[in-house]
Amino acid sequence: MSWFNRFSNLFRREIVDKELDEELKFHLDARTRDNLNAGMNAEAAQHDARRRLGNATLAKERAHEMNILMSIETIGRDLRYALRSLRKSPGFTVVAILTLALGFGANTAVFTVVNGVLLRPLPFPEAGRLFLISYQSKQGIFENQPGLYDTDYLEYEKQNRAFGQIATFNEDSATLTGAGDAARVQTATVTSSFFPVMQVNPAMGRTFLPEEERQGNNRVALLSDKIWRDRFGANPNILGKTITLDGAQYNVVGIMPAGFTFPHEAAFWLPLAVGADPGNTYIRPVVGRLRPSVSRQLALAELEAFTKHLSPGPGAIRESMVAEILPLNDLLVAKIRKSLLIFMGAVAFVLIIACANVANLLLMRGNTRQREIAVRNALGASRGRVIRQLLTESTLLSLCGSIAGILLAIFGVRALLALAPAAGVPRLQEIHIDARVLTFAVALGAFMGILFGLVPALQATGNRVRDFLSLSGPTATASRQRLRGALVISEIALALVLLTGAGLMLKSFMRMRTVDPGFRTENILTMTVDLPDSTYPTALAIQAFHASVLAKLSNLPGAVAAGAVNWMPLQPALVRGTFQLDGGRKRPRGYTVAKPAVSPDYFRVMGIRLRRGRVFTEQDLSTAPGVAIATQSVANTLWPGEDPIGKRITLEDDPQPKDWLTIIGIVDDVRQQSLVEEPQPAIYQPLQQVTRPFFLSHMSYVVRTAQSPQSVAAALRGVLQKVDTGQPVEIAALTDLVDANIAETWFQTRLISTFSVLALFLAAIGIYGVLAYAVTERTREIGIRMALGAKKSHITRMLLKRTLVLVLAGVALGGCGALVLTRVLGKFLFEVKPNDPATFLSVAVILAATGILAGLLPAQRASRVDPVVALRSE
Amino acid sequence: MRTHTNDRLKGTLDLLVLKTLASQGRMHGYAITLRIEEISENVLRLEEGSLYPALHRMTQAGWLRSEWGVSESNRRARYYSISAAGRKQLAEETQEWTQLTSAVARVLSLA
Repeated sequence: MSWFNRFSNLFRREIVDKELDEELKFHLDARTRDNLNAGMNAEAAQHDARRRLGNATLAKERAHEMNILMSIETIGRDLRYALRSLRKSPGFTVVAILTLALGFGANTAVFTVVNGVLLRPLPFPEAGRLFLISYQSKQGIFENQPGLYDTDYLEYEKQNRAFGQIATFNEDSATLTGAGDAARVQTATVTSSFFPVMQVNPAMGRTFLPEEERQGNNRVALLSDKIWRDRFGANPNILGKTITLDGAQYNVVGIMPAGFTFPHEAAFWLPLAVGADPGNTYIRPVVGRLRPSVSRQLALAELEAFTKHLSPGPGAIRESMVAEILPLNDLLVAKIRKSLLIFMGAVAFVLIIACANVANLLLMRGNTRQREIAVRNALGASRGRVIRQLLTESTLLSLCGSIAGILLAIFGVRALLALAPAAGVPRLQEIHIDARVLTFAVALGAFMGILFGLVPALQATGNRVRDFLSLSGPTATASRQRLRGALVISEIALALVLLTGAGLMLKSFMRMRTVDPGFRTENILTMTVDLPDSTYPTALAIQAFHASVLAKLSNLPGAVAAGAVNWMPLQPALVRGTFQLDGGRKRPRGYTVAKPAVSPDYFRVMGIRLRRGRVFTEQDLSTAPGVAIATQSVANTLWPGEDPIGKRITLEDDPQPKDWLTIIGIVDDVRQQSLVEEPQPAIYQPLQQVTRPFFLSHMSYVVRTAQSPQSVAAALRGVLQKVDTGQPVEIAALTDLVDANIAETWFQTRLISTFSVLALFLAAIGIYGVLAYAVTERTREIGIRMALGAKKSHITRMLLKRTLVLVLAGVALGGCGALVLTRVLGKFLFEVKPNDPATFLSVAVILAATGILAGLLPAQRASRVDPVVALRSE
Repeated sequence: MRTHTNDRLKGTLDLLVLKTLASQGRMHGYAITLRIEEISENVLRLEEGSLYPALHRMTQAGWLRSEWGVSESNRRARYYSISAAGRKQLAEETQEWTQLTSAVARVLSLA
């Protein structure tokens, strides 16, 4: 309390001055008044009052002394003393600061990302009052993003009282033409209430009017600042001009301010009309701004009450649905939050290990400084005073470490973001070292400095003067050794936990790498197009386009074969759905299949094996009878023990006679949705027989190449441009597309591994330091032992025994800790249990080996002690 | 941590102030001056200028609490009262003072 007072007075000198003035003035006046009452004349009364008080300024200054001199002076002295003492042992200082810089640097870097992604409010006014409104199923294969069914949205918009206005939106993409090369751009379709809810105004022009949601009025667009600059030369007269997206013309009505790209990285915003027809089963994110007096809890209660009264509704899966009011940021960070928190935990471990190392150094230093401390005690310094001095030293050390750490973090953040998967980190451009990060780093530095300095300071000052005088020299006490041992044990334990985490992630990653997706990925180049309805309005037109491209691709030099599929496996989008069986057979409840449309050569290119029957041919045209190919698991599920060939199914809910398809072949299942999920059942259709443009306009061509796929990339581009120059070109090797599936895991694995190697390294240094010091301390004892005939190997064994005890204790403790803590990794692990015995065992072995190795050096040195020299050393 | 036991004068002032506040409750500086003069029958004359630094020091040591209030003459004045730590300090200093004076008294009567 008193410290706080002094510090606060320091910063409030002016106020203190005024208060003191007032207090002294009051005293003078009161004395003068009493003098007057006693019969003095005015002048004498004032004079007497002043004389009695003495020099008022002096009194004031003296009062100030108490505030400032006592604190500033002693702090200044402590600081100077600390600096001098650190400078006197540069080796210690450099090692300590470097160790701390590693710990603080890693923490500051990770905190910078956490700050940018999780803590910084979204760049909207009062973003804290923006919430997502969600009523979604929380189970099943589609773990849905937060959102509402369109029909629920319309109802809730009418009924809710908690939000002023609500808005819904969709992320999408489109092909931009007529402004440089054709390009795929991110778009967002939004209701006219979207911008008012966000409270974001356009930098130029206006946002959407309610009537612009309606068909006929909806060909209007807003541009992001970035696309306006990149593609339209920041043309100031762009309002009222038209732009072309997916072949359709839109009138530009406004430009959004720089930095506004919500949702995600939108370049264009288009009006969204929410259809009220009961067949509308769209689910979209819904955002609202809470009214000022309404709390999140209240809004949730209202939403829950609202959902109770909803009709069974689309899909009739209401029972598994949960009402939620979530911070808007969740839309962006829900996926990354958990891994960031795990990283925070991991770097905290690294920091604790670093600090334990420095605490150990300080403990040893405290030992060698016994004499100095005893002298200061004898000269009248109180124990508190010496402790304060030592704490000043450790805090100074720690702050230097944290400043060095900030410098490291500048590079660390860059490295971290370079490692991160491209789409993995939202709001990337907002991640930088800001005031909050600096405050965090410095506060952490000060806090850790006091924390790791406290125990050594208490230890160092614990001895009384007479203890020191009664001994011939500094001798290790058992308690001090125990303390250092405890620090080393905890370092080893922490390092073990981290290493185990890293080991599990690594094993899981290796498992993912070796997963067979069910198709070949080498030497396959993919090219994806999205054909706009305006240019290709009918299935026939689209099929003609694909046929033309495929014919050219097959004849390309260097291409072995070419195929096409509407939605590639292992990519973000996938068409899944139900089907019906012939003869009134029921399909299993809840059983859905992927429904890819493919060209005849697709299976050959992708190396998907045909089990029975035949694949599609060029003769399976729209005029020919409908055919389909099922995967093995579909056949096993639907027709167990029967011949699936010749069975009839339809993918339509309301089939016409021509919609019935005959199964002509059975192929292997492939992993459709993700590498870490089992292969999914699928029913393939020849793309020539698909009648809905929606299932044809998005198409990926796959080309198997003789040499490296990139060698034909240019030729592929040429083919596309020959057929339609208005198509943006998206070319990628299939291996890269598949690897994108595990990019996030790779990132997490690399990061955790880096941190754990750092921890291992620091812990090894810690073990080495403590044992090396123990040897120095015991030089005399070792000398005596050797003089009495102990063999060198005995000495080495004696010291190694201590290492072994420390290491094994640390490993045991860390193993228990890891058993508890690795459970948080469960969600990230693939085919590896969080308590995987093999990983635990190998990590324990690695750590024990490292520990023993670190202890071997000092033990060897001890065995080379010359007894004569050792005995003389005191 | 007592840092001024060897400084009897300062120690005495502290003792007097603590004792006064312990028996009288909340007072402003001027009232403390008057009270000490009155009780000691004007034998102990405070150097009034040294009172305020002492009050500040004791406030910062946590022995006293201070707050602004309105005086009997309707002016703003800073009032002091004793804290629990102050009472402990008072007990210690009183004991020391008694020991000192009785020791001095013994020396005077026997030597």
